Amino acid sequence: MNTIKLAWRLIRRDWYVGELKILTLALIIAVASVTSIGFFTQRINLAMQDQTGKFLGADLMLNSPREVDASVLDKASQLKLAVSKNLLFSTVLVANEDFQLAQVKAVDDHFPLLGEIEYATQLYGETIISSRGPGPGEAWLTHRLLKRLNLKVGDSFELGNSQLTVSGVLKYDPGQAGSFMPIAPRMLMHYSDVANTGVIQPGSRITYQYLFSGSLQDRERFERWLKPVLNPTARLFGGKQGSQALNTALDRAEQYLALASMLSVMLAGIAIAMAANRYGQRHFDQTALLRCMGAVQAKIVSLYSMQLIMIGVLACVLGCLVGFLAQQGLVMVMADLLPENLPRPGYQPLVSGFFSGFLTLAGFSLPAIMRLKSVPPLRVLRRDSIPLPISAVVVYGLALFSICVLMWWQSGNLLLTLIVLLGTLACVLLLAVLTVLMIALSRYLLIFLTGPWRSGLMQVIRYRQANQLQILALGLALMILLTVLLLRTDLLDRWQAQLPAEAPNHFVVNIQASEVPALASFFSAHGMRTEGLYPMVRARISAINDVPVLQAVPPGARIDEALRRELNISWADNIQKNNQLIKGKWWSAADQGKNLLSIESGLAQRLGVKLGDSLSFQAADKKFKASVSNIRKVQWDSFQPNFYIIFPPKVISDYPHNFISSFYLPADKKEIINKLVRQFPGLTVIEVDAIMEQVKVILDQVTLAVEYVMLFVLIAGLVVLMAALQSSMDDRIHTAIIMRSLGAKKSFLRKGQLAEFTILGLFAGVLAVIGTEMITYGLYKYVFKLGYELHVLYWVLAPLTGVVLILLTGRLYTRHVTLLPPASILYR
Amino acid sequence: MLNILNGVELEIKSGETIAILGQSGSGKSTLLGLLAGLDMPTAGDVFLDNKHLNALDEDGRAELRLDKVGFVFQSFQLLPNLTALENVMLPLELKADSNAKTRAHELLQRVGLDQRLQHFPRQLSGGEQQRVAIARAFALQPAIVFADEPTGNLDTVTSAQIINLLFEINREQQTTLVMVTHDENLAGLCQRRLILEDGLIREEKG
Repeated sequence: MNTIKLAWRLIRRDWYVGELKILTLALIIAVASVTSIGFFTQRINLAMQDQTGKFLGADLMLNSPREVDASVLDKASQLKLAVSKNLLFSTVLVANEDFQLAQVKAVDDHFPLLGEIEYATQLYGETIISSRGPGPGEAWLTHRLLKRLNLKVGDSFELGNSQLTVSGVLKYDPGQAGSFMPIAPRMLMHYSDVANTGVIQPGSRITYQYLFSGSLQDRERFERWLKPVLNPTARLFGGKQGSQALNTALDRAEQYLALASMLSVMLAGIAIAMAANRYGQRHFDQTALLRCMGAVQAKIVSLYSMQLIMIGVLACVLGCLVGFLAQQGLVMVMADLLPENLPRPGYQPLVSGFFSGFLTLAGFSLPAIMRLKSVPPLRVLRRDSIPLPISAVVVYGLALFSICVLMWWQSGNLLLTLIVLLGTLACVLLLAVLTVLMIALSRYLLIFLTGPWRSGLMQVIRYRQANQLQILALGLALMILLTVLLLRTDLLDRWQAQLPAEAPNHFVVNIQASEVPALASFFSAHGMRTEGLYPMVRARISAINDVPVLQAVPPGARIDEALRRELNISWADNIQKNNQLIKGKWWSAADQGKNLLSIESGLAQRLGVKLGDSLSFQAADKKFKASVSNIRKVQWDSFQPNFYIIFPPKVISDYPHNFISSFYLPADKKEIINKLVRQFPGLTVIEVDAIMEQVKVILDQVTLAVEYVMLFVLIAGLVVLMAALQSSMDDRIHTAIIMRSLGAKKSFLRKGQLAEFTILGLFAGVLAVIGTEMITYGLYKYVFKLGYELHVLYWVLAPLTGVVLILLTGRLYTRHVTLLPPASILYR
Repeated sequence: MLNILNGVELEIKSGETIAILGQSGSGKSTLLGLLAGLDMPTAGDVFLDNKHLNALDEDGRAELRLDKVGFVFQSFQLLPNLTALENVMLPLELKADSNAKTRAHELLQRVGLDQRLQHFPRQLSGGEQQRVAIARAFALQPAIVFADEPTGNLDTVTSAQIINLLFEINREQQTTLVMVTHDENLAGLCQRRLILEDGLIREEKG
């Protein structure tokens, strides 16, 4: 009891001295960065998982590329499950002279079985909750789609052969699972109108979506019955493990975001360690006195631990609050990519906030605080008695251990944690070597400098240790921000710039064999250069060398996207011009009809497929098999139709198929698409340039979100800066006082300080830009395979930012150094 | 190895006042540290209140200090972040005294500082700071008070006032007082005077 009171009193009084403020601030940042990510991902998870029912619009959702057997629906009605049958497809809508690719969902009268649809009767109108979709002849379009087509409620538009009337603005509809980030804007229509549109042709890319709901018991019986008879191309959502697959990508994104937030925790940890160290040293006298007055070691430990706990609680509460607010900001930044009306977060992120807060605090401050328990009481008589320093192994070991535990806990993946941790350490080590070199070399500049600049540089060299840390912390934070910024602004532009000027910018899919001649003459009549028409069969790889595919491939490849869905496979006489044969040989005319195939090199590598291996396929209910005759390298970003698997002619040509083509159309001739869609209503035209624009928006938002998280890293870097300044403060004051008593003017000292901070900022900026260039060089050259140039602007911008940041913080921290009257220190 | 103290044999009886005199560096503070159990001798034994200090560990000696010992230092050793009142409360709180505040208030009144209760050390003069330290030293009515050059940082007039106060309270509480000083006048007020020279101790008969 007494200890609590005393601890509280001491902490209240100590607060004004400074290092406790820094310690608290650092801890707040660490907790805020962890909780903001926690809140954010939890809300998305809640939206995705906890409300699966409402989210799916049903208890169970079955997506299949073709109609399921009638027995499935019979079984469902036998078990008294409610059923709703819907269709999903992409098509181009035409209104006046505007056209737009849309993701259409045609729903029956039962949709949704669970949850509600939200719509409005005019743009930006009030939300209306409805338990059913639009009626026959009507359509509800998202606001984005209405804008693109210049439509308002009450207007009509064309969908294939039929006309539909806009009767609502779609705000939310359940069952978007599997298309979490739809590229094309969406619309709802009535199921009964689909037949009239003529857009559904044999082989068209459609998804049949069946929704089921009922009592848990009936559902489970249904699921048990359904799973064994289900065609492998169908995917079931909402069952026991249903939503897992859906969340794999998101889980991974969360892992990386969480690990990114660990960077700010690491930097905050450094600041905490520095502040705790100074706090410990400043309390040698107080502790010695307490020991002298009879406080046992346990009392000392509990007194200071109590103070840490108090600071921990305060910082965690504030950190959680800041984290919550920051998370709201993050949701705003990513608004377009997230489902509307995210559910409220629960308390779980608060728990993780407190856990990370206390673990960071303990890991980085305990050694300094524990050292106090061995302060000898004799210090009251002899100031030179100090406790033995704690071994470096304990100090760094404890810090690394706590960070490792935190990262492991956040990512749930020990291997990933160790890789990231070791990678970061290696990177920091490299930058540290650079920093040490910079400071060491700057010594040679001394002879060229005079006045305040010379005194500033001398200060940099004198407080080498603290300064190296400051440069490193700020440099690291700046480097990360610069890299993300660069990727956002530079990468996509550079990639687009290296594409051939007239690369195809439109794809046409769902072309029926009967339409091929008419389409070819349409292309030539309008002078459109096409890349040819390629046949396409949808099939799934079912076995490799007669071993079921999931058992045949390496474990890492089991979640490969190519195994989870039907592939578009094709046939051809000759190899496509942007494909390159790397193994085996291409077939001759004599090979037509032989069971051979050509596989793309990346897929072959992932699945462990070699020349001569046999691959089995399932297309609809038919099976066929062929052996690998060659392996091709495909240039995917050529914007020409490309295929993983190609057969010789006359092997798969009897299976249901349609055709794909691509062409280039300059922006001023877009009206040709209107004509095309009117003449061939079954076609789907995909505008690559519009999608690129979309990708850019998504990339923009995602990187903006990453930058947002990285702001915590920058702030944590600044706090390290403050902690480093604080740790050299006594020395700085003492030097300043002696200089002043020897006759140095205040203005001289101030200029010296400004020069010192400017030099530090320059060093941090240069370090950041060197790091950024190294990282982007690696990424451009080896990952994106793009040309690399120095980013000249950044060489100016980064040092400038470094200087401004250090000047502001440094000035804030040291302004009183030059103001204290010398006597106040000399006679103390 | 440097021997600071050699063959020191000394017994202090309850209630005695003792001055330890000697030149700078003669080992006065070392002797005080040993007597109070702040330091341990490399050879020889120290008993405090019949307890063998060598047999106690650091925590055992701390508990003994809490029960029996008070200190007054040359540099006052007040905690700068605590008020005068809180500084005096400190030993009482370590002892878990539920009346710490009232008792500290009384003690500060006794040393004439009842107008300075909420002042921080930096707001007090040297003499006032040493009064706070005296109040703190006697707060737990210790059996023995060790004073290390209690007037070393004070002017002559203030020194006299502090010494009077120290001896008055010492008499009131019948405490044993062991004082390190190089001030002959101050030493003259004590019943026994010990002189340290070349690591050896000799008693000056008064």
